[in-house]
Amino acid sequence: MQPVAHAVDQAAPPDDRVAITEDEVVDEVLVEEISIDGMCGVY
Amino acid sequence: MSLTLESACRLDERVALRPEPFGALAYHYGNRRLVFLRSEDMVRVVRSLDDAPTVAHALTASDIDRRRWPSFLDALSHLEASEVIHAR
Repeated sequence: MQPVAHAVDQAAPPDDRVAITEDEVVDEVLVEEISIDGMCGVY
Repeated sequence: MSLTLESACRLDERVALRPEPFGALAYHYGNRRLVFLRSEDMVRVVRSLDDAPTVAHALTASDIDRRRWPSFLDALSHLEASEVIHAR
């Protein structure tokens, strides 16, 4: 019979890790439009 | 019309891209719109559009992570609305 401690060592750890990053969509602001209407006449 | 990954695009010939520390500044000499491209990656994508058969090809050629593609598609749609780029 296998000792209890040895059996515990061989047991696979519970795989409770969550797949969090593979399909995660990254939301970012990549462009920004600047109005220069108020700058007419400024040269 | 909204862009898709299958769209083919080109940079408007009246647009000048000036490198900046944050990415680039795009100025349209026709409609006088000024748009900040807020990352080097975005600049690379925009510059690659002319030679890419589709937006997806441009994103792949620019080594953009697929998780970021929706943001890039939104940004490209914004640039199209501003006439900085056009579907071809």
